[in-house]
Amino acid sequence: MEVYLTLALLMSRGVILALGHDGLVDVPVPSALTLQTNQTAQTLSLTWESDSSGFDIEIFHTELMNVVMNETVESEADPSTRQHVWTWRSMLPIECTSHSVHIRARHQQTVSQWSPLQTIPGYDVPEQSSPKMYPQDKVVHVGNNITFCCIVGEKVNFDRILYDGKKMNATRVSRRTYAITVLNQPVSRVTGTNVICCSDALTLTGSVVFVGYPPGDEDLLCETRDLTSAVCSWKKGRNTGLRAKRQRTKYTLNGRDCLDGQKLSCSWTSWEQNWTLVAQNPLGSVQLTDSAPLADRVHLLAPVDVTAVDVMAWNVTLKWRWSVAAYKKLDMICQLKLNSRELTVTRNFSATGLSSVLLDGLWPDVGYSVSVRCGSLHGFWKWGDESAPYKIHTKMERPIPPDVWIWMDSDTSGWVLWKPLSVSESHGALDGFEVSQSGTDGDRWSTVSLSQNNFSYPITLTNTSDITVTVAARNPAGLSQASSATVPAFRAVDSLLKVSELTGTNGGFDLRWRCDVNVSAGFVVEWIPTGCSGLCAVNWLKVPRSNSSVRVPSESLEAGVRYTVSVYSLSAGAPVVLERWNGYTRELPPSESVVKLSPVQISSDVLLSWKAVPMKQQRGFIRGYSVYLANAARLQLLANVSDPDVTSYRVTGLSPGSYKFVVKAFNSAGEDSGSTVAIKLEINMDMMVVGILVSLGSMFFCLILISIFCYKRREWVKKAFYPEIPGPKVSGDWCSPQGPLDVKPPPHSLVHIVESPEWDFGKKGLVPVPEEEEEMENVDTDSDEPALLKYYNQVVGEDSRSNPLSDSSGSSTFSVDSGQTEITYTGIQSPTASRGGGYRPQMQPVSGPDESNGGFQSDFQEENSSSGYKPQCSWQLDSPEAENFNGSLGSPTSVTSSQFLLPASSEENPPAHAWFHSLLSRKS
Amino acid sequence: MAGRASLGRHGLRGHAGRSTALARLLHEECIQLLELYRKRESLPSSPVAGDYLVSVPPLVPQMSDAEKISILHAALKECLRLLEDVITREDVEFSEEKGEYTRQRTTVKDRLGHLLVSTERLLVDGRRFEAAVKEELDGSGKFGLKMWILRVLQDLVHWTGQTSNTLNQLPVEVEKATKRISQRTSRVSRKTRN
Repeated sequence: MEVYLTLALLMSRGVILALGHDGLVDVPVPSALTLQTNQTAQTLSLTWESDSSGFDIEIFHTELMNVVMNETVESEADPSTRQHVWTWRSMLPIECTSHSVHIRARHQQTVSQWSPLQTIPGYDVPEQSSPKMYPQDKVVHVGNNITFCCIVGEKVNFDRILYDGKKMNATRVSRRTYAITVLNQPVSRVTGTNVICCSDALTLTGSVVFVGYPPGDEDLLCETRDLTSAVCSWKKGRNTGLRAKRQRTKYTLNGRDCLDGQKLSCSWTSWEQNWTLVAQNPLGSVQLTDSAPLADRVHLLAPVDVTAVDVMAWNVTLKWRWSVAAYKKLDMICQLKLNSRELTVTRNFSATGLSSVLLDGLWPDVGYSVSVRCGSLHGFWKWGDESAPYKIHTKMERPIPPDVWIWMDSDTSGWVLWKPLSVSESHGALDGFEVSQSGTDGDRWSTVSLSQNNFSYPITLTNTSDITVTVAARNPAGLSQASSATVPAFRAVDSLLKVSELTGTNGGFDLRWRCDVNVSAGFVVEWIPTGCSGLCAVNWLKVPRSNSSVRVPSESLEAGVRYTVSVYSLSAGAPVVLERWNGYTRELPPSESVVKLSPVQISSDVLLSWKAVPMKQQRGFIRGYSVYLANAARLQLLANVSDPDVTSYRVTGLSPGSYKFVVKAFNSAGEDSGSTVAIKLEINMDMMVVGILVSLGSMFFCLILISIFCYKRREWVKKAFYPEIPGPKVSGDWCSPQGPLDVKPPPHSLVHIVESPEWDFGKKGLVPVPEEEEEMENVDTDSDEPALLKYYNQVVGEDSRSNPLSDSSGSSTFSVDSGQTEITYTGIQSPTASRGGGYRPQMQPVSGPDESNGGFQSDFQEENSSSGYKPQCSWQLDSPEAENFNGSLGSPTSVTSSQFLLPASSEENPPAHAWFHSLLSRKS
Repeated sequence: MAGRASLGRHGLRGHAGRSTALARLLHEECIQLLELYRKRESLPSSPVAGDYLVSVPPLVPQMSDAEKISILHAALKECLRLLEDVITREDVEFSEEKGEYTRQRTTVKDRLGHLLVSTERLLVDGRRFEAAVKEELDGSGKFGLKMWILRVLQDLVHWTGQTSNTLNQLPVEVEKATKRISQRTSRVSRKTRN
């Protein structure tokens, strides 16, 4: 009964607690909250007691009471301890600052009161006065984010936090704590990445963080070298980036530390079927496994002491030794690599514990380098290590018989030829050759010894019987077997033997000839450069009798060279030519042009002639010639002479002038560069002389006809060309010669002929001469000529018409337009009629215009009063001008007038040259 | 010290000149080494908080040059010990990876040894001084090690610079010492012959 009572009381109390004061359910406050930090894991563990299963938790940074976590969590109490445990991981290292926590229970929407704050102090409390940075020496994965905090010392100003030398954005967490967060960190350097906290002037504190990867090793393989122990190796894979000693990857093989792990190899004294390698560093580990029986993982060591015990000409016995005794019972395969100067061959041998082989198939007198490597025959894993190369040199052997041929360059002379022996044929350094020639009776042989550099020997035939020649090569090992050849019958190239044209294919000649049943010893194909003389480069090829075709290889042939190819049949007697060809393996354009190109003019044609290109320079079969006319910039093809035997061409229908002709020879490969010749075509002199004579004759005949005509009609001619000039009709007594004329000449009785110095050939004419002009320029005062015609060559234009002086008063002017000339009849200007300056001939040199005018007029009047009209009175005989005048008759200085200005005395005594004056007058 | 008198044909004065040149060269190499370390570690140029690690009696003007050399010799000796410690610790904690810094480090170590031998020959009669290291490395993580290395390198720069300057102002005093040594050597030789 008491138990039930107690239970009821308890229940009622619980209900009351749950309902609270408001009558709702009252949730009990969690109790016994304790905090515990794990600095390495940066976690804060909360432990409390409560019957509830839901809780609200708030975590603060204590100093600034910043809420860093506010979360509702579900937590079940540990049945044994009845405690709840919940862990929170902080981004900020827990040591950076003090953390405060409180918690309340939650039941649906009802919560309890917050528990009292529980604080766990950080290292920024006053008791910890020195600067610090957290976390220290952290190792993190590449790409991780990390938060660092710097706790500055008391009374020290914070300035910045550097991450790998770069300033970061810092956040203040508490009075002395500042934090940075670095995102996506790259691989750090060997000594780690430095995070440094600085004040204004000093480095306060710092931390080092190592950023890298977990191990990435792979491909573990274990093998045995001595058939007992094991060596396991692997590949490193990705670089961890953690190279500091304490962060390096550490290896264990089957649980045992691997001391050589950094060399990626680990040994163990005995073979185990299964192998496990664990590679581990602070960021993680990787496990590699391998499994194989020992027999499948044999990796033999290299043979030692390789030696040749029996060196022969064609083979060598090679021996070696094994450093591991267990190999002697191992079925193994060995590979010998044979290097000579020319080639490399490998040969395989197999046996149990193989340590000696006979190496055959070698060549005499050849140096070889041999190396040996072996592997397990059963369950072959890989070739073992290779021995060091061992050099051997085989012994010498007698040479093989040389390949002999006889080439006749005339009926009685020729050359014994043999081919040089290669290294593999000579079997040792050759000392020389021995050439033997059979005598005329076939029994006696004459032998000559030649040095090793001789490959031909001249022979001379004295009779027509078959001569046999043998050649043998000699080296230190002995004389080779003799090789024989019979002198073939000589057939010159230009003999009756038909020579065909041969075209090369792929640089060689494909030959095919008719079969000859009489052939018993096969054929010889011989080819030489056509037209060569002396010791030619003769090549030959021996062909079995069963063959009737062969290819002459390109190696011995040259493009652009003409070869004569002959096929000889070999039988018991002398070889006989079966067929012969001339050909090129590949034609090239001629290397030289035609020679001696010359032009000959034949009337209006030009005959070009030349000589063919020399055969050596033809470099192909000449197919013809191209004739060009060379113009300034190009060649004009005149003709293609398609017959190579034609060496001339006539260019017709050319007009006189210079020509340049180019002639080019061409073959199937193209033309040569061409020969050029120039010629200047001239007119035919005979025809020209005939033409001149005919023209002269015709002209002479015409002149005679004209003369006859003129003579017959001379009256008409005179009338037409020389009419009678009527004499002047003068009224009054003009013949009284004495005394000066005191007569005022009638107007319009003079005609002045004046040449204007400014004659315009475009507009010329005769214009009336104004009086003043007359006065200013030329005044004809010749009293002997009462009437003169004065022609003024003057531009007829507006200027002249507008000249106010042109319409001089007191003068009657009559102008006649006569095409280009105006004839003006002008009255003699009386001195009194003069205006202005008046008459001023020859006065300018004496004095100024004003003075002269006055002076002149007074003089003139004086003269008029005393001696009448006397033009040119101002002239004095003793004046220099007068003298000059006499001396300058017809000179440009007298052109101011068309009349000669005569002194007064001249009227009575005309000078000796008066005839010229009268001539001019008559002319006018 | 017994063999100090046998300095060869050039005598002490020439030897002091060589020591001066050696100190000057070593000072430059220490500056380079410090710069290489700062560069390799991306460290700021601001100095590390704290005084010089090596502590010696103050170099006052009243001291003779010989006394100054003796003090500096003692400081350099401690510097060499610290540098060897640095090399050991660096190789243990980090990789022995070869680079420009490690080459320079070896050069400085060797050169410092030569300078110590050279300056020791200049130590003649007089007082001998000892140097002390105020702070040894306290196992405070990698960064602490790096800062300690930095301080050692700063000390190297400081003391080699001091030595270079002091040796540069040396000649008169050493010349006297040379004469004294010559006289003493003569006396010793005479006694030996007698």
